[in-house]
Amino acid sequence: MGKPKAWLEWHGSTLLYRATAVLARTVGGPVVVVAAPGQELPPLPSGVTVVEDPVEGLGPMQGLAVGLAAVADRAETAFVCSTDLPFLHPAFVRCVLRGLASGPDVVLPVARGFRQPLAAGYRTALAGLVADLLAEGDLRPGMLFKHCEVAQLSDEQLLADTALARHDPMLESVVNVNTPEDYAAARDRPPPEIVVECFGALAKKGGHRPRGVRTATLGAAAASVGLTLDRHVVAALNGDQITRDELLPLVAGDVVSFLSADAGG
Amino acid sequence: MAPGGFFGRALLVDVGGREATGTPFELTERVLRSYLGGVGLGTWLLHRLAPPGVDPLAPAAPLAFVFSSLVGTPLTTSAKFAVVAKSPLTGLLTDALASSQFAISGKLTGHDALVIRGRADELSVLLIDGDGVRLEPAPDLAGLAAGEAETAAKSRFGRNWRTAAIGAAGERGVRYATISHDGRHAGRGGLGAVLGAKNIKAVLVRAATKVSVADQAGVLAAARDLRKRSFGPATAKYRELGTLANLLAFNAVSTLPTRNFTAATFEGAPQLAAEELHELRGVARNSCASCSIGCEHIYSRKGGGGQRMEYENVFALGPLCGVSDPDDVFAASARCDELGIDTISAGGTIAWAMECVERGLIDEPWLRFGDGKAVLRALDAIGTRSPGLGELLAQGSRRAAEAVGHGSIDFAPQVKGLELPGYEPRSLQSMALGLAVNARGADHNRSGAYEADLSGELDRFDGGAAHVAAAVGTEDRAAVMDSMILCKFLRGVFDDPFTEWARLLALVTGWPLDADELRGAARRIVRAKRAFNLREGATAADDTLPARMLETPLELGSGRSAVLDADRLRSMIAGYYAARGLDEEGRIAAADLEDLLLDA
Repeated sequence: MGKPKAWLEWHGSTLLYRATAVLARTVGGPVVVVAAPGQELPPLPSGVTVVEDPVEGLGPMQGLAVGLAAVADRAETAFVCSTDLPFLHPAFVRCVLRGLASGPDVVLPVARGFRQPLAAGYRTALAGLVADLLAEGDLRPGMLFKHCEVAQLSDEQLLADTALARHDPMLESVVNVNTPEDYAAARDRPPPEIVVECFGALAKKGGHRPRGVRTATLGAAAASVGLTLDRHVVAALNGDQITRDELLPLVAGDVVSFLSADAGG
Repeated sequence: MAPGGFFGRALLVDVGGREATGTPFELTERVLRSYLGGVGLGTWLLHRLAPPGVDPLAPAAPLAFVFSSLVGTPLTTSAKFAVVAKSPLTGLLTDALASSQFAISGKLTGHDALVIRGRADELSVLLIDGDGVRLEPAPDLAGLAAGEAETAAKSRFGRNWRTAAIGAAGERGVRYATISHDGRHAGRGGLGAVLGAKNIKAVLVRAATKVSVADQAGVLAAARDLRKRSFGPATAKYRELGTLANLLAFNAVSTLPTRNFTAATFEGAPQLAAEELHELRGVARNSCASCSIGCEHIYSRKGGGGQRMEYENVFALGPLCGVSDPDDVFAASARCDELGIDTISAGGTIAWAMECVERGLIDEPWLRFGDGKAVLRALDAIGTRSPGLGELLAQGSRRAAEAVGHGSIDFAPQVKGLELPGYEPRSLQSMALGLAVNARGADHNRSGAYEADLSGELDRFDGGAAHVAAAVGTEDRAAVMDSMILCKFLRGVFDDPFTEWARLLALVTGWPLDADELRGAARRIVRAKRAFNLREGATAADDTLPARMLETPLELGSGRSAVLDADRLRSMIAGYYAARGLDEEGRIAAADLEDLLLDA
């Protein structure tokens, strides 16, 4: 693919930026990237921190141990994913994390025919157990699952979530990029379809009415309606966060409202 | 000699029997420089002239029309004045700004402020010009709308008089009655009731002199520059759609108070939106005197005529009462203007009453959310203070809730007695703090902290230290703009506000001001307002929000909930007190009291 997965570009973002920013806009807690020793990373969203894996070559279990330990003092549960999930949707993350509420240690999607340990939910208290298993030479996630309570989520169970069924009916949240062909196929896919509204002085002749556009970042969404996010223009994402972050990743079903920053009166 | 732009004196007008007398009251350069004019100077005057504990509707309670050094200059939006008094709604300081030729003519009577005390024997008009003051009986104006009274006064006394008048609500002591002039209103806090209690239907002023500025050429150049900037993107919203542009945007971000703050999105919002109405209705634009922005948008009404619509009156008489028919909202706004009552307080009080009806606490089954005709009927009852509901609601939502009881104070949409404007505190938590601590009560003009919430630079759902800093900052900027006085719709054109404002004031006054001195003036003005309220019995317990805001999560359009609990608000208030140099009870240190020049 010509460069490390984290640096691969997808519709205006690197894969790592997109994955971390999707998580950041979805979860209430910290977002941590586990990097290999000396690994150079692309720019990350503000607030996302990096912890370095002290040992190289032990695979995803080592990253899992480091990542869970890094957030254990601030969160009881975590969504853990790889960097190469361009279609990851917040509804998938929420659905998985919701599964932890009933008490299992791990919520493991079994989606599109495969177990998905790198698109799964974990209790952060598992960090010690994972480290112990690694010390004993057990490097496979499957070994962890033998030592703790795992709740599997099938395609049907995942799609029982109405938001997920609406926005990611093919469960493409778990589609990753392992080969040049995978990457080429991902890049050939159009950006997600979102809805844009413009209000106040930003709306020209009916421009306040919702319209669908295909775009993967907030900056591109602004450009699609002839706007630039600056001191006079802000955006609200799904009526919730207000931001000027041009790199904010957008996902299918998002509603972006562009507002005059000169609010009030 | 007075500094540029000032006369160095106020006029104390004492009204009694059938006569009025005017007495000059010196305003030293030190006081003028410390308080700037407008709201700041008005606050100082109230300290000096309002007897402690005075009933706001008593003859001894002063009502001050206060100008500034900028009034009468060519600087855009400077034809403004502040009306300051002890509020009959809150029992605390209130100040309202308005723009019109009244500002220029009032100042050019030769005074930086006109302060009215006393009570006439019968309904009268008060005339002030270079020849002095006089009282003229005006029983024929009783019951007239302010606009009608203005027309009648001009017909009687001549067109070169400028008028500030009250409607029937002011005459009848509705606690949120307004003072109106040229179709504009000094709206909040019941100033019209204060004037009405003096048996004054209208104040007429006529220019009699001129005022000089320190650097005429500099002021002209600055005026040209400011005018040019006033046509830029920072004011586009106000020019193109007016403040009503807020409505659909606020609905989209779950901050449009609906059905007495039980929701923050309104299904009828599109029908009331400026964007829609501009396509469906004829719209005329108008400007205040000396203004190049032109934010007024006057919509054609079914059946003829037009009505000026602003976000706050549409929010209060529309979504807050569950009303989505624009013609009902237009009619209700027009009725408020005719009666001379504050639309925000009227809408808030009626919405509270509608909820009381739903809960079986008020037996007026016709008063239902969503019924625009019921809003009109309630407004008429308020304006005439009809026995029962009208008398109850004319007191405002806090007093009405105290009378009705049964916990209805928990959902009365008010702070310190002043009804909340159209900004949902739970989804705008910098604003929540601003609303809680502001001296005037729940107010969006003296604390525009929503700017920070809507900037994207902080999490508007998670109030903390950044929100405190934002609330203090916007309150400081408002204190200066309201005192110097410039319209806040200009605020976005200034890149370095305090520095630029200091330069403007220096050109007019001749004072070598800098940004730090203006920041000091802002802190002084904010503290002086608090000091007045403390003197009148306010405590830290008054710095809060209605229980509904602190106990009931708000459902957002995104599916999340916005929560603002009492602990978080208390923590922000503690941060605010610390930033303002107040003690834990919100009191001012003795050393800081000296800086207020209350004995000067």
